[in-house]
Amino acid sequence: MKFGLFYEISVPRPWGRETEKTVYDNCLEQVALADTLGFDQVWAVEHHFLEEYSHCPAPELFLTACAMKTKKMRVGHGIVVCVPEFNHPIKIAERTAVLDILSGGRLEVGTGRSATWTELGGFRASPDETKKTWDEFVHCLPNMWTQERYSYQGRSWSMPQRTIVPKPYQKPHPPLWVAVTSPGTEVDAAERGMGSLGLTFGGFAEQDEKVKRYRKIIRNCTPVGKFVNENVSTVNFLYCHEDDAEGVKIGKRMTGTFNYLASQLLAAREAYPSKSYPSLGLLPALRQDASGPGDASGAPEGIAIGNPARLVRELKKWEACGVDRVNFLLNALESIPQEKVLDSLRIFAKEVMPHFQGASDSAAAAAGGR
Amino acid sequence: MPPRYGKLNTADWAKAAATINGYKTEPWLLKGAQILSINIEIDDDPADNLIPRTMHPSIPSYAIFNVTHYPESPAGAFSIAEVRIAGRTGVRPRGFVLRSFCDSENARRELGARWGFPVAPAEVKIDLRHDRIVAHVIADGRNALDCELVDRDVIAGNDIQYIASMHLARNKEDGKMVLVQVDPEFVFSKAERGKPRILHLDNNAWGAGDNLRLGNPISATFTVADVTMPKIRYICNPEVPAMQGTTKVAA
Repeated sequence: MKFGLFYEISVPRPWGRETEKTVYDNCLEQVALADTLGFDQVWAVEHHFLEEYSHCPAPELFLTACAMKTKKMRVGHGIVVCVPEFNHPIKIAERTAVLDILSGGRLEVGTGRSATWTELGGFRASPDETKKTWDEFVHCLPNMWTQERYSYQGRSWSMPQRTIVPKPYQKPHPPLWVAVTSPGTEVDAAERGMGSLGLTFGGFAEQDEKVKRYRKIIRNCTPVGKFVNENVSTVNFLYCHEDDAEGVKIGKRMTGTFNYLASQLLAAREAYPSKSYPSLGLLPALRQDASGPGDASGAPEGIAIGNPARLVRELKKWEACGVDRVNFLLNALESIPQEKVLDSLRIFAKEVMPHFQGASDSAAAAAGGR
Repeated sequence: MPPRYGKLNTADWAKAAATINGYKTEPWLLKGAQILSINIEIDDDPADNLIPRTMHPSIPSYAIFNVTHYPESPAGAFSIAEVRIAGRTGVRPRGFVLRSFCDSENARRELGARWGFPVAPAEVKIDLRHDRIVAHVIADGRNALDCELVDRDVIAGNDIQYIASMHLARNKEDGKMVLVQVDPEFVFSKAERGKPRILHLDNNAWGAGDNLRLGNPISATFTVADVTMPKIRYICNPEVPAMQGTTKVAA
């Protein structure tokens, strides 16, 4: 199992220019430290208009800064919105290629379609169309990355023949992922030979079922890319402290803040009934699970908050479900002071990572940097 | 904690509140209800003045215009219209009812006493046309609301998610103002979606003054459903955030 960071970039009011800069600086400091500690990857969302919850509308810029501050960590779009009102597919192909070059071939490309009316309505995008445009985009991208001359006549967009340059550094192209939030999206990922980038989870039993379904279907997939990316990633919170009660207490402050912020957003399904959005999407699902019943400590099941022993125990359960990677949210609204976040990363790397094959390899390789 | 909370002056608002006869209401099953529901974004900052401090606004703020015809009920057939401002109590989506209008005196009396709905008399009509659903509300001889769903398109009932409502009411027992949550259950036999249009809105009729400024249209739905008006399960203190001021009054 490998571990990574996952950024929404949550900024508290009042939004003075120093507030925004401090939060971005804190994130970059965390990423730089994580790289030396052996974390494997950093992901950043693309969100728009989600005040306080996520001030990360330009992940390619943040990820470029991450790439400049790190040597080994892979950088991931988690996700790029594949809806033409948000991003033109040519621009996606170009931007990701440049980021792959600048990072020395460390890019992972997560794809998705947005789950909130806040964003879809803001760009005047129809919720009925997003699944269709996402599917169209992910079939186009690998060809745009690999064909010297490219032309396309499709449903939601088209272009005459041109040479899209530059091409990605990784050959044949960066790994492709799908944001898995709505039920059944893991099937979409598997059928297309793409990684399953879980942005929510419904407990161990549900995850186990999802992973089994994914692994079974991907064996007979028709990959949209030039290779199959069979990987299952999930998202989690992280606050690790030597004292379990303190870890749970501070961790719950973060999860509670995150969940409260998430609840203010307007899910596509709440405002615009559509079969295209059968569930409330990423945010509410994460909220329910992260505030659900846990053990006597008050730590919700499966959430990585508490002392190292608890975290090893919970993460082993995810590993047993077939999860390959776990990406962690480290803060929400700066509710945890930066020094504590950095300490949490250090304790995690020292006392939790060694219990996991893959993560311990990365940690050992990075040991010189600690 | 989010810094944006509602700023409604509940003391002023209480003048239009109904008096609720305790919280032991028995459910009503209302068969074959025809429900027109329209969601429209509204300007954020003034909208904060239209929800109580118990709630915080959704992002973006939006208003819900509901016009429903109930062909049968314990109080006889009636039609009711209401305007809600969407928000959140804690982490739950809820719509604060600004005002309701109803065309039946029996129904007004029962809805006020049983659930505390702030219902005033008006002529309320829904017309089903081939290409649209049209609704009108005439209160005190003045046009309070004209709205419609156009370009009717069939969808599945399980795609619909109506959010529960909250409204201010005065408890008969102690005279205190409370926020009452009403979360009906729906069994859909028909569901349609279309484009929303508000053709006329008299803000003052709904007590909104200048605070209700319509913006980006979102969606309109029309459904036919059996509706169960439930027991009252939760009430809130309107002056404090829901996390601190919610009381469970029934399972």
